Amino acid sequence: MVVADYKKYLAENVLNERSTVTYRSLGRGLKVHSTLAKQMLYDFHHTENAKKPRSVNATYILTGIQKAEESTTTNSTKPNSSSGNGDDIMPSSPYIPSSMANQEAAGDQVPISSVLLVREEDLEGAKSTFESISSIYVYSLQSTILQDLNVLTDVAREMLVNHAKEDPLEYGKQWGMIQNKNVKRRTGARPPPPPPAPSSTIPAKRPAQSDSQQSKTEVKEERSDSKPAQCQNTPSTKPAEKAAAPPKKEKGSLFSSFAKAKPKLKKESSSTPAVSGAESAEPSGAEDVVLGDASDDGEEQEELFPESKKPASTETRESRKEREDRLRKMMEDDDDEDEEMPDATEPEEPSAPIDQPPPKQAELKVEATVAGGRRRGRRQVMKKAVKKDSEGYLVTVEEPSWESFSEDEPAPPPPKRKPVVSAPKAKAGAKAGQGNIMSFFGKK
Amino acid sequence: MGIDSPEQEFLRAPSTQQYEPVLRNPSVYNPLDTFRLPPGQDRQYQQQYGDMYFLRLAKLKPAVEAVAVEAWEGFSIAGEHARRVERVLDVRQGELCWVAGTIYMEMPLKPNILRDLTEDNFTLAPPPRKTYQDPSHPELTEIMLEDESGRLRLVGSKLGSIQLATGAIIAVLGTENANGDFEAIDIKVPDLARQPLRWERDNPQASKSSKKGKIAFVSGLGITGTSSDNLTLELLADYLLGYSESSTSRNEDGSVPDANTITRLIIAGNSLGASIIGEAPSVEGTTGKKIAQQKKYGYDASAYNASPITQLDSFLAELLPSLPITIMPGETDPANFALPQQPIHRAMFPRSRAYCAPPPSGEEKAEPGWFDSVTNPWEGDVEGWRFWGSSGQNVDDVLRYLNFADEDGNIDPNCDAEERLRIMEAMLRWRCGVPTAPDTIWSYPFQTNDPFVMLACPHLFFTGNQPQFKTAVIEGDNPLKLGEDTEMGGTDEDTPVPTVRLLSIPKFRETGELVLVDTETLEVELVKFGAFAGKEDKQ
Repeated sequence: MVVADYKKYLAENVLNERSTVTYRSLGRGLKVHSTLAKQMLYDFHHTENAKKPRSVNATYILTGIQKAEESTTTNSTKPNSSSGNGDDIMPSSPYIPSSMANQEAAGDQVPISSVLLVREEDLEGAKSTFESISSIYVYSLQSTILQDLNVLTDVAREMLVNHAKEDPLEYGKQWGMIQNKNVKRRTGARPPPPPPAPSSTIPAKRPAQSDSQQSKTEVKEERSDSKPAQCQNTPSTKPAEKAAAPPKKEKGSLFSSFAKAKPKLKKESSSTPAVSGAESAEPSGAEDVVLGDASDDGEEQEELFPESKKPASTETRESRKEREDRLRKMMEDDDDEDEEMPDATEPEEPSAPIDQPPPKQAELKVEATVAGGRRRGRRQVMKKAVKKDSEGYLVTVEEPSWESFSEDEPAPPPPKRKPVVSAPKAKAGAKAGQGNIMSFFGKK
Repeated sequence: MGIDSPEQEFLRAPSTQQYEPVLRNPSVYNPLDTFRLPPGQDRQYQQQYGDMYFLRLAKLKPAVEAVAVEAWEGFSIAGEHARRVERVLDVRQGELCWVAGTIYMEMPLKPNILRDLTEDNFTLAPPPRKTYQDPSHPELTEIMLEDESGRLRLVGSKLGSIQLATGAIIAVLGTENANGDFEAIDIKVPDLARQPLRWERDNPQASKSSKKGKIAFVSGLGITGTSSDNLTLELLADYLLGYSESSTSRNEDGSVPDANTITRLIIAGNSLGASIIGEAPSVEGTTGKKIAQQKKYGYDASAYNASPITQLDSFLAELLPSLPITIMPGETDPANFALPQQPIHRAMFPRSRAYCAPPPSGEEKAEPGWFDSVTNPWEGDVEGWRFWGSSGQNVDDVLRYLNFADEDGNIDPNCDAEERLRIMEAMLRWRCGVPTAPDTIWSYPFQTNDPFVMLACPHLFFTGNQPQFKTAVIEGDNPLKLGEDTEMGGTDEDTPVPTVRLLSIPKFRETGELVLVDTETLEVELVKFGAFAGKEDKQ
């Protein structure tokens, strides 16, 4: 039935809408195998031009072995023939690379095959450049001659946009894609919202959808079973992510993922086997849901701040709420947008000592004073010093010492920030020269 | 099915034939983490670079000395025996001796931080040069041998006949002449390191499960986000996914190699085009002021064009359901610039990252992902073979040390391609993949080990982003005298002579060429993609 429809489909698209149809867009549109789509294109091209010459224009793909461009080198006609005479092994030479003289000839014997896109008008000319043609098929049909072949890429892009919802793992077989049984894909990855400009970008290939798909998928998908459960368990977050939410809202979802990443991390660090187990074993139960769902954004975020990860995972006393509050404050800070990156770096750097102060870092202090629009200060750093001890041995000791620094940056407006952050943080964070880059490097 | 002519398969009315799904063979893949830098705060940039040279010399000196002992022991000229000298400063004038050390080349056009500082010229990175030699004054190039004690200037006709670059470890036989220069009579290099056996790192089952197949290499996709550069990319994707081949004319002579035999795609750098990265946002006039005032960090649509990376992402996401991919960053990719470049972060690939390995959790080493974003350079086992590859910076830079250009600085492309393979061979024989780091390639200041030293000789040594495709096979020395390898973990008595396949991968954007390597024989094939320049284009 689908096969019968193709004429209508092509007539509509090529003749009426005067758009370009490639075998892939046809294949996807009608959900047919690529070979069949090629045949459909050929048939349509043939019958329409028989009815009315030059009403449909085609481009072809030629594959095969092209003739050598210059007659200086004689390419082997058959790709397999070189397996015998391939590259000559270079005589062993202790090290005189100039013995590669005979390599040039060997290099040229590499079989070269070509895949060439050709317009209908040039088909014969192009064929004549081939020594042997292994296949030829219609790539696209359009109503007029294509001035610029690059138009075809727009068709492909449009096709990807239109069929973004079709999971290639599920439909690939239908399209004639080479199947791979070993594909490993993590589920629970949230597809990004479709970009607003469809002309230049391609949106999500796989919106979180289709509960039905998992049963069909032939390829083994990790934790695919958790998908429906995931949808049920987290109804609140789903809508926020699905739509291209306004910025405010996205921030909200960012929180929730941060907050959720917390328990997940705990689990991960305490029981790593569980994670790997979940990959291989049949996944089920709530644990997978948590892992699968909270994972992606949370993970990615977490990974972006590797410094904050360790304390967060080891330190479990802090309640989630506290954490969320702090994050919210951070976000609000950001919203002010009068001040800069330091805010963003703050959580990585100075918050680490709060979560679980590593003894070494806690001792290091930074003092900054503001004078005449310049900020100067001194900070404590650990310095290595080599000393001779009482017995005459040289020993290297690390000892704290003070070091002054100054910054050309204007002073931050301190009163504004101070009330926002919680007490211990204010000390380490706001005073820490706003996490300026020098203090980052200064630490050892 | 009774279809003889390949043309008939597609150029016919639609059939009701059922198409069997075509299956791809599994890929056995076991990457190494040689070039991963420690994450986060453990990554320090305060160390001195000198440690790297020290480490390199310490590692390679025993190897080169063993080669030298083999060759020069008992060597005598006019009754004078060649003596081994430990340090370059111990060389005595007029005495026949040999010594091992690191090459340092002083060249007139080489970037020099001290000179830049004195000229107050230190704000910008030095512009890339074609060569550090001054073709009109070749005499300005000085070659020196250095170790922790000092330097020795090398002279002699022998130097003209071989290539050297800063950072290579060699042993030199000769005498110090009246000028205090060392007259080199002969030179030895460490030569190929021990080559692991195939399947050495994999479990025994892996070798059985592997079938005949091909590994595809591509580099320099150069996606710029404009529609003009994507047509060949589209054809490439169609081919790799198996859409562009006929289902019946398999394995016939004269046909394009079947895409379903390809088990893995390795992308060797520069997936994004150069132009977008270099473009700094133009800050001028009122808009500039406004930007400065707002100081917005993070995504700024006016200063950042996301379309190249989204296109790369969708290209990868299209292939990944069918084909595992290893991607290395290159010079123009969004990764750190200094070698070793760290993997492109998967946050860059919102669609493809579903195929990544799960983020590292704890100490446990995660299984490599289906989509593996790796370092540049990169080392790993694919189908049991050891691969060592880079995105091309190492070869490009060593090339600048060599005297390949004629007086006017012109380069013969053929000669150039051959020269690049020779450099690759030389690197293997120097046992150093990036000899010129940290001198003229930016590099992370390694302090405890120099990963650029090759502890094991790869089976396939590839370099991406080269102007031209080129391949060769080189052969190591007779393995029987590989006594120097004892420190590398013992020698295998019946080790075959190590042979290495060199591969210089062209830029896809310029050539449209995909390189296929056979997994059994390491034979190379090429598939070219393009559009026929017909009448319409000529108008």
